[in-house]
Amino acid sequence: MSAFDHYLHAVLLRAGDEARLDGSASTDAHHLLLALAAAPDRQHPDRQPDAAARLLAAAGLDRDTVRAALDREFGHSLRTVGVSPDAHGLPAPTPSGERPRLGASSKLAMERGFTTARKKDLTPAHLLLGILRAEVGTVPRALALSGIDRAELAQRAQAAIDRRATDGSPDR
Amino acid sequence: MPLDDTPLPADPADALAAVAALRRLADRLEDAAVEQAMRAGWSWPQVSEALGVTRQAVHKKHAKRLIAGGVTLRRRGE
Repeated sequence: MSAFDHYLHAVLLRAGDEARLDGSASTDAHHLLLALAAAPDRQHPDRQPDAAARLLAAAGLDRDTVRAALDREFGHSLRTVGVSPDAHGLPAPTPSGERPRLGASSKLAMERGFTTARKKDLTPAHLLLGILRAEVGTVPRALALSGIDRAELAQRAQAAIDRRATDGSPDR
Repeated sequence: MPLDDTPLPADPADALAAVAALRRLADRLEDAAVEQAMRAGWSWPQVSEALGVTRQAVHKKHAKRLIAGGVTLRRRGE
């Protein structure tokens, strides 16, 4: 497996954990975004964050701010039809032990991020760019509601990819 | 709130996002409500009939999770 394959595998595992915490049967694009923003490397705590995590951090997004943005979108969308997001006072359910399946929005994000590059040239920034290219859905709504300029963030991700392509630096 | 008081959002993006959010809320509520019922000693047939779905569907969706959560499940006929 290439370095990127290992990276993608780790991101998908983390995104799956986020989905299970969310009580979701599918790993959706917003779970991928949470996983990209988190990127904790427990085996190598001194290792530098990858390009995707750096780009998100520069926009003020870490795992918790992405989570807050998603919660804001959830509440906002429910209230447009007159439903309160915390309408029930039931205790939080036990999370499922099963691996969530890959959701349609995650598949789209990977298609959009990966089709423009050769497999050996793929980087974390490609995955981030694929997520940011969605014009509709939970991620763009959550970012817009939290005042994040998605187009600018996508441009920065594209710039990071272009820089790496021209100078060949290992910008992980 | 009566449905009449809450018109469909004018923006299709809002209306579609509300559908996605309601599905998520319903899934979470189902997980919590089924767990609450089973902890209170309800049987699979009772829970499935209350939800209006088959016993197999409820069992398939929730049994593993509830066993992992330490819920004592009633056997058939108990």
